[in-house]
Amino acid sequence: MKNLLIYFIFLVNTIAFTQNKLPQIILKNLEGANINISKIETNNVTVFSFWATWCVPCINELEAINEEYSDWKNETNVEIIAVSIDDSRTSSRVKPLVNGMGWEFPVLFDLNQEFKRAVNATSIPYLIIVKNNTIVYSHAGYTPGSEVELFKKIKQYTH
Amino acid sequence: MKNLLFLIALLVLFKANSQKNWLSGNFTSFSQYYVDDKRTGNFSKEDRFRSNNYLKLDANFNKFTFGVQIEGYAPQPILSFSPSFDKQIDVATYFVKYQSKQLDLTAGYFYEQFGSGLIFRSWEDQQLGLNNALRGGKIIYKPHSYLKIIGLYGKHRVGFDVSNGEIYGVDTEFNFTEALNIENTTLNLGFSILNRSQKVENTPANFKKNTYAYSGRVSISKNDFYSAIEYVLKDADALFEFGTLNTEALSKGNALLINSSYSKKGFGVNASFRRLENMSFYSDREVDGNIDNEQLVNYLPSLTKQHDYGLASIYVYQTQSRLSYNPFRKAGEIGSQIDVFYRLKKGTLLGGKYGTKLALNFSTWYGLDAEFDNENRVFDAKFLSFGKKYYTDFNIEIRKKWSKKWSSIFTYINLFYNKKYIEERSGKVNASIVIAETTYKILPTKSIRIEVQHLWTNDDRKNWMAGTLELNLSSKISFFVTDLYNYENDIIKTHFYNFGGSYTKNSTRIAINYGRQRGGLVCIGGVCRIVPESTGLGLSINTSF
Repeated sequence: MKNLLIYFIFLVNTIAFTQNKLPQIILKNLEGANINISKIETNNVTVFSFWATWCVPCINELEAINEEYSDWKNETNVEIIAVSIDDSRTSSRVKPLVNGMGWEFPVLFDLNQEFKRAVNATSIPYLIIVKNNTIVYSHAGYTPGSEVELFKKIKQYTH
Repeated sequence: MKNLLFLIALLVLFKANSQKNWLSGNFTSFSQYYVDDKRTGNFSKEDRFRSNNYLKLDANFNKFTFGVQIEGYAPQPILSFSPSFDKQIDVATYFVKYQSKQLDLTAGYFYEQFGSGLIFRSWEDQQLGLNNALRGGKIIYKPHSYLKIIGLYGKHRVGFDVSNGEIYGVDTEFNFTEALNIENTTLNLGFSILNRSQKVENTPANFKKNTYAYSGRVSISKNDFYSAIEYVLKDADALFEFGTLNTEALSKGNALLINSSYSKKGFGVNASFRRLENMSFYSDREVDGNIDNEQLVNYLPSLTKQHDYGLASIYVYQTQSRLSYNPFRKAGEIGSQIDVFYRLKKGTLLGGKYGTKLALNFSTWYGLDAEFDNENRVFDAKFLSFGKKYYTDFNIEIRKKWSKKWSSIFTYINLFYNKKYIEERSGKVNASIVIAETTYKILPTKSIRIEVQHLWTNDDRKNWMAGTLELNLSSKISFFVTDLYNYENDIIKTHFYNFGGSYTKNSTRIAINYGRQRGGLVCIGGVCRIVPESTGLGLSINTSF
């Protein structure tokens, strides 16, 4: 088995691979429509934030982003997309919560964590910054004020 | 040791490669060094150090994706993980996937879900030690944007091996909105058929190895309304009790789930109803109800609020879907849950300068009211009737931002937990919990968070109190100290203290902690694992590349 693995490593070393593109995965939005992730327009900086209704730091992060969102948009035209990894235990709570909170950004359902797995996120909160269909930055965890550093990164990739 | 070196070499090699964006992956590691503690027990020398490690690697090449997951449990898996994780290091899962516009083909290990998972879900949760990937093949065919068909075959992963049961499944989903170009309304329809096939030795000749399940679902969304219904029917299957399969006692199962919600800016409400009758479903009939959650075919999470706080996680409801005649007669569960979210506007009397947010949740779950024929091991459950009360939880959460620097969250919980039926032990618990947490920002990325909790109950282990202090020195470095104390317990009062810190840079996080773990249920996403009380040093590493 180990030999097979070593062979595998050599194999992947000799082939030119494509870059870290957005995966071809179809997720539903809050209205139940199908959204193809790889077709999302990312000529501007786009942030995908993975969260769940039961994750307190995730909600704190999205609340903090929501407060700053109109300012961020004016300055950089950034798009925020919140990807809920709630499974069927809590997914029905997502839409009422998003509306109850009054969040301004679109939300997608990653019911069986297909998207989360494809970007290799280990735990939530987790976010990726995407530009021109390529993942340019990723970050795990949230502490109060982390949004300040997120915005620095957004500005960095805007230019 | 050799294996460990091999793993490190692999990691370094891939880390180097990832600089060039050739491939991607992640690495997760949980380690524990257990120490002797008169309150939580002693360990022999060889049992002290335990470590779970997961290395996931994906390589994309045009329309192909290759993936492997290497897992290492060296020298042993962390306490309470399934004994099937018995290899120090080996390839645990692998796959090859081909993806074109209309067709997805996967060979090897894969995850999938039909509808909400009521009939079928295979997924992974490393912290729970749960991975019920199927090993086999899967085809997803999308001839039109409005039609998706999934066909799959596989055997459930069990540790580094697979189940002796087989799963065959077909799922179709049809989106009317896209097919008929309807505006403002979304209508989705889905159907599934699943077959669990398992030959069992020493059974009568007429005993069928196949158990079929059928499901239909519909969801509709119009303006601010959303509604979804899903129904599953499971063919008659044998009863597993006292460690043997009773092929004479065959019972059918069914499940019904209804969700409805209404929401607009600043307000949202959701109501769920679910009824489960004999819906416990495993690849291998003889592991029915196993504590490691292995070979689960369907996903039946408890529809209650998943609380994040320490004292709110002591009495956690677990779905009662299993048919049993002993020690208690149970045929399933019935109940509902309601959520309300409301935002008090900024600038109003109650909203204050920064607004206030309310979340209300109520859930109540009962056993099915059924007549049991103990002798023949058959039962008859009425459709809409409530039997023994298993659980209720009423809770309210208020989020209040006082100023740009200062915010708080208040939570009140009132719950009833029928320990007798949920845990199959004696007792009932009525409890109230109050939690207050507040965060103060000293600098833009420097903050302090304080959390105080109290649980009142005259039952079980009596009152508890708990507190947490968290210091975020920057967006990279955090420290915490926490303590849970059952100060009124008659038999033994124990401090479950814990302290530690974490360092985060981009997508890498390293955390270390030392303390006493409260034994009991650890639940993630409605699936629970029983962990023993223990004391020790923990280290966790997460990184993505």
